[in-house]
Amino acid sequence: MMMSQYLKIATCIFLMGALTACEHEDEPFAGPSLIDRYGDFTVIQELSVNTTLVDFAAGETVIFTAEFNISVDWVIEITGTETGAVKRITGFDKFINAENATWIGNTTDLPFFSTEMCTVELLVPEQEDFVNTADVEIVSTRVYPGSLFTDFEAEPGSAIQFGNFEFELTNQTGRQNNAIAAQGDYFYFLQGTDNVVPNFFVGLINISSNITGETYAPLPTTIPENLYFNCFIRSSGTPHGIAVIQFVFDSNDSGAFEDGTDQTFQLPGDFPLNWTGWRHINHSMSEVGMTQAQLQKLVTIRVLLISDMNSQPSPPISVEFAIDYLTFTQGGPLQL
Amino acid sequence: MKKQHFTVFSIICLLNLLSPRLHAQDGSAKAAEEEKEARKTVHFNGLGRTYLGQTAIDGNILESDSATVRNLTDGEFLLDLILNATPNDKTEVQAILRLRNEFGGFFGAGQTIEVRELWARGVIANALKYRVGDMDLVMSPYTLYNPLEEGVVNEAAVFAPQREVIYYEQFYTDANTRRLQGAKLDFGLDFTEGLKDAEFSAFLTRIRGTDFFTIPSRFVAGGSAMFNSVNFNDSLGMKASVGVNYVNTFDDLQSGEATTGIRNSVFSVSYNLTAFENKKLALRLVGESGKSSLENRNDSVSFFKETDTFLDVGVRAEFKPQKVAVTAAFVDVGPDFFSIGAQSKRVNFDADKSYYDRIGVDDEKRDPALFDLTRDRALYTFQLSDRLMPYDARYSNTLPYGTATPNRRGLRLDAIYGSDADRIEARIDAALMSEIRGQGTNELKNFSLLRAAANVNIHHYLSWEKNLRFTFGYQYENVDRGGVEIEQVDLQSNLIDLGLEAELFESFELLLGAKLFSANGREYPPRIDSFNDVIDFPTQLNADDSESLIGAGFKYEFKKGIYLTVQYQQFDSKRGVNNPLDYGLNQVFALFNMTF
Repeated sequence: MMMSQYLKIATCIFLMGALTACEHEDEPFAGPSLIDRYGDFTVIQELSVNTTLVDFAAGETVIFTAEFNISVDWVIEITGTETGAVKRITGFDKFINAENATWIGNTTDLPFFSTEMCTVELLVPEQEDFVNTADVEIVSTRVYPGSLFTDFEAEPGSAIQFGNFEFELTNQTGRQNNAIAAQGDYFYFLQGTDNVVPNFFVGLINISSNITGETYAPLPTTIPENLYFNCFIRSSGTPHGIAVIQFVFDSNDSGAFEDGTDQTFQLPGDFPLNWTGWRHINHSMSEVGMTQAQLQKLVTIRVLLISDMNSQPSPPISVEFAIDYLTFTQGGPLQL
Repeated sequence: MKKQHFTVFSIICLLNLLSPRLHAQDGSAKAAEEEKEARKTVHFNGLGRTYLGQTAIDGNILESDSATVRNLTDGEFLLDLILNATPNDKTEVQAILRLRNEFGGFFGAGQTIEVRELWARGVIANALKYRVGDMDLVMSPYTLYNPLEEGVVNEAAVFAPQREVIYYEQFYTDANTRRLQGAKLDFGLDFTEGLKDAEFSAFLTRIRGTDFFTIPSRFVAGGSAMFNSVNFNDSLGMKASVGVNYVNTFDDLQSGEATTGIRNSVFSVSYNLTAFENKKLALRLVGESGKSSLENRNDSVSFFKETDTFLDVGVRAEFKPQKVAVTAAFVDVGPDFFSIGAQSKRVNFDADKSYYDRIGVDDEKRDPALFDLTRDRALYTFQLSDRLMPYDARYSNTLPYGTATPNRRGLRLDAIYGSDADRIEARIDAALMSEIRGQGTNELKNFSLLRAAANVNIHHYLSWEKNLRFTFGYQYENVDRGGVEIEQVDLQSNLIDLGLEAELFESFELLLGAKLFSANGREYPPRIDSFNDVIDFPTQLNADDSESLIGAGFKYEFKKGIYLTVQYQQFDSKRGVNNPLDYGLNQVFALFNMTF
């Protein structure tokens, strides 16, 4: 091939590349408008709600609407006046509407909402002086998905066995409604001091699956990897307390929990009670090591109060926690 | 896609069968029988490293902060054992086993044993070179390339040992390669007329495995063909090299339950056309142009697709007696040009730092600073990213994603003088760019970048046998944008690298170095959600910042590749006058490195 032919080919390649490479899609600028983002802030439409009475159990929702002249970070904070439950909806937009601000009755900070009046605040963190308010009354609460084991709302009768073997639990221990429950009105409270037999163990309760009306706990699935256990635990933040939750498999098919015979499983590690308030505890049942066959015969859930004597002063001080709303969900933890 | 790969593979096999003049590019096959026997060996090599260091923090930001630990001591003991075997003269396998123990680890705690590298390579029929396992690959700056990190111009030797550790840990090389895992084929052809030779390369690598649910396996496949001509005209020295590059990053939607995945392909033609060359002068037309395609698919249905192009063409003049080479290029990289293999950054500015990641009363996340960029391997990555990674506009704003930075049009200039055998070796790079598409406004940013580096080999002036070298680096960067007050941008930054290497005794060097940085002005760093989509400008960066990092130490080299260095480094970060966020870090460390 002659040199001139090579030059022609090279020139063609170069020109083709040059001509095609400088053409780009003619689009407006990338990202949000800076003037919208950082301009002076004004409210075009004040906060409003689509209803002041909401029946979440019937599937109703609350839709918030408002409009600003620029896109801003905003927060809608809904607070239950009786429970103190808090739901926060956040976004970055100039429009607040059904797409980004619909409340289905769920919660951000425990406890759950009850049938109560709620105050609603619309806040813009970058505008400290700005606040819009509204009120919403809940006439029925949201029904959460999953298979409820117990929420302690009904008198359990013999379904809860009280284990105060060393007489270390106080008489405060039991089903209570003297404080805010995580859900509903009642929760179960365990309190005691490991000062009779200093062996870490303070006391326990065995919650039979009979509490559900069935011999074995009804579960949304028995595949351990897809089955999640959820509960809410309240701690007072005082040190040295440990909560332990165990799951009992009916090894001998007796239909009832027999201590020493039935096999017990628990999550590796414990729950040191080092926080204050209610907390959502959850884990998959595969993490506790139960098989599908064993989950089909879940006969009891055992809840223990432990005193960490390695860290306790002498004499040891009281330890306590409350537990509420034990439920199983499928595919993931309970979505609050 | 699989059909395309099969076609490429078939063409390679066909060429292999038809050509009697095939050769393997690395030429590792040896003919002599004794050489064959000699190569049936097993070699043990490796790298050993011991690092012990103490880091301390102080400054205004720690006032009222009693939680932050003021001193941290850490270290590691590490042995990478290289097991290399050549069972015959056409096959070679290698494994690197890593034994590591953290400082303070004992009875199994903090100890790790892992396979760091594993590969096999060889030559088929003295013609086709193959490699499987881990490999370092590079193509062109727009297709598969690992651009340099921020905070470096011509770094002082005192900072080099820590930089070497980062490079070693993240598999970075001077050739801007990327560490990938898969299979690769290479072969070459020699010609007797017109073309001098041609080189072909193809690879298929996997960069991510599936989780069998929502995340599909991700592959990078590609290849290149490079054609080199003979001299068209002996008196003018005219010749041409033309390359074709193709790389495709794609998700395998047959893996797991995943239904959504991406396709990102980049095709380019690169060229180096010599118009004139003799012993004194060479004039060349160099460049690359091509096109990218980005697609998001749900099964076989494409629900997002965008394409864009790039052009990089320039003229290079080489003045050989003067040892000077000058290049001027016009660059136009489209705003939607997307190349995972070339735009993924080394520094992940979102990563958690190894030291003092959060400090202050509010436990604020500390911005990566020169101190971290110099020593913290946790900030660096060799992974490919399917979105444009975040960057710090103060350190790099003109070309934060290297040569392939999208949305840039303008001129790029560079000049190179000398080599390390000369008294002075120097390099200047400059870029005058502007955006093609605005960000948050129709107004366009204008960028100016100047990088200058020089090594002064003082020992050549003094005719001293030992090493005495002064190193200098400077980077100036400016970005501005007009418009109404809110849209305006005006950010300048300066980075100075200074270094001195003085060999006081045989193999015993005094090392001094400094990095000085300042940034002033306003910018709106974009937040990029996926691919190259800007979704927000979450903060208005108002910089009045300065940083200084000063290092001093000694280095004793027992023999090549085996050295001990002991250093002290002091870092200060200031944010304006009497700013409560000011802080300082200092470290003392000893690093023993041994390659054997």
